[in-house]
Amino acid sequence: MPITHEGLAREFEFVTRPGERKHILEGIDGTAPILQELAYELIVGNNTDVDRLTQEALAEGFTANELLDNGLLNGMAIVGVKFRDNLIFVPEVLVAARAMKAGMAHIEPILSASGAEPAGIIIMGTVKGDLHDIGKNLCIMMLRGAGFIVHDIGVDSSPQDFIDAAEEHKAHVVGMSALLTTTMPNMGRTIAAFEDMGLRDEVRIMVGGAPVTQDFAEEMGADAYGDNAVDAVDKAKELVKQLAELKSS
Amino acid sequence: MSLVIEKMTSRERVMAALAGDPVDRPPVCTPTNVATVELMDLVNAPFPDANRDGEMNARLAATAYTELGFDTIAPYFSIIQESSALGCDMQWEQKDNWPTVRMSNPIWKSSSDVKIPSDFLEHPDTKAITDSIRILKQEFGDEVAIVGKTMGPWTLAYHVFGVEPFLLGTVDNPDETMKALEALKEITLLFGQAQIDAGADVLTVPDHATGDLVSGEYYRRFLLELHQELEEELSVPLILHICGATVDRMPYIAETGMAAFHFDSKNDPFEAMAAVNGKIRLVGNINNPTTLYARGPEDVRAEVNKALDAGVQLIAPECAIPLKTKLENLLEIPVAIKDWVAERGRN
Repeated sequence: MPITHEGLAREFEFVTRPGERKHILEGIDGTAPILQELAYELIVGNNTDVDRLTQEALAEGFTANELLDNGLLNGMAIVGVKFRDNLIFVPEVLVAARAMKAGMAHIEPILSASGAEPAGIIIMGTVKGDLHDIGKNLCIMMLRGAGFIVHDIGVDSSPQDFIDAAEEHKAHVVGMSALLTTTMPNMGRTIAAFEDMGLRDEVRIMVGGAPVTQDFAEEMGADAYGDNAVDAVDKAKELVKQLAELKSS
Repeated sequence: MSLVIEKMTSRERVMAALAGDPVDRPPVCTPTNVATVELMDLVNAPFPDANRDGEMNARLAATAYTELGFDTIAPYFSIIQESSALGCDMQWEQKDNWPTVRMSNPIWKSSSDVKIPSDFLEHPDTKAITDSIRILKQEFGDEVAIVGKTMGPWTLAYHVFGVEPFLLGTVDNPDETMKALEALKEITLLFGQAQIDAGADVLTVPDHATGDLVSGEYYRRFLLELHQELEEELSVPLILHICGATVDRMPYIAETGMAAFHFDSKNDPFEAMAAVNGKIRLVGNINNPTTLYARGPEDVRAEVNKALDAGVQLIAPECAIPLKTKLENLLEIPVAIKDWVAERGRN
């Protein structure tokens, strides 16, 4: 049994899909007890312990990448699965995210200074008329954790705001969020604005948010729909690859 | 076999359906809002002014009955009137966007901050609604059900504390959350009673403890009792409205004693009917962003038929509709209901 931490082993049992079990287990397999403890404390939302353990592990000589890849992101992957499967809800995800932030406060400056090649550049915002940002912020946290540079343009973002940010930062992906059925159509208007400006082939566009569905995403002309923050990372990786292929063809 | 009453006014039909009594046909209802940009132009009552001026509000609200053929008129279009009167940071937007509360700038931090201003009911943004109800009652009171709206304590909490701080608080200090909800419930009662006094026949109580954010267990733990208290204290039929996936909490919602629950298209109407087990009427659940906004009358008709086949008692869009929803899709709802009833009569 590669998971030696009792609490983490218990949490891992919530992951039931074979592919996900394999993927998460590969991340945890054989990792040091302190990294497993870090993952567990993140899942249960103990930000004080995540803060302490992150500092201790760095002091013991673990690298920032080890802490992120083998500790925090494993924890968040399990949180993502539990959220998707309705085992936990937004309050529990928020306390886990708060714990993740406590760890990232120590890790992010080290990663930024390392100058590693980013996985891609993403613009993230909530559409015009919608001021909700919890889901968007969770996605941003996971995307940054996965190595993307994310420019957050905030809430209530007009089509022009998305276009300006995409052009300024030479983004690969534009991500739009909405929580309200009344504001979801603004996703379609934003996509239409990219088309009108002749920029539609310059970026890939993904959408998400509680009321958004795959059907709606297709109807609005988006390139991808992210069902949750973990899915958003997978979709962003696919879209960056897709864009590179499109541009090289 | 249930008795079918042949000729009912819209008001009689809605009140009967909410009471679980026989109806000549299922009513088409708007517990939230069906104002659109086209209707605003038609009666010269655009957003945001139509939210803030009683006379303009009544003019726009009435179109649900006069233009669309719905059985209800609901003058409170948005979810922010009380929050504006409490002093929240508002964004009133333009004609084609909903007014909203800037929840990133919350006005309160804890239950001890909850104070209802002495002139709460005289604030222009609460008064616009009670003024409108008075106008509508006078003009349409005998014909059509006037549906007021008073925000539940959970939704008010999002507005005054901010969504994220409030939800974090439910984990960090649930006792404090309960205290805050108890205090906010007084606002729900105050504004609800004012609308009843002005002539509302029915009140919608939106309280967004949605499955997209919190568990069914959260609903039971934090809200069930408060909703039962609202039902006991407000004398008109109440329609609880919660967006998103709610089947897991419908058995609890069925215990509130409220007249009806307004549910979202994320829930299959057959599953929803089974979940409430005849203990509360259902209102819904035509999809807004895909069906009403982006598709055509045939798709609307299919969803109306499905809801009716499931036994949903009052037919309505799932929530406040996108403001650029096509009128032909809204007009299709009452037509589809009448055809469904006629079809059943033939069989």
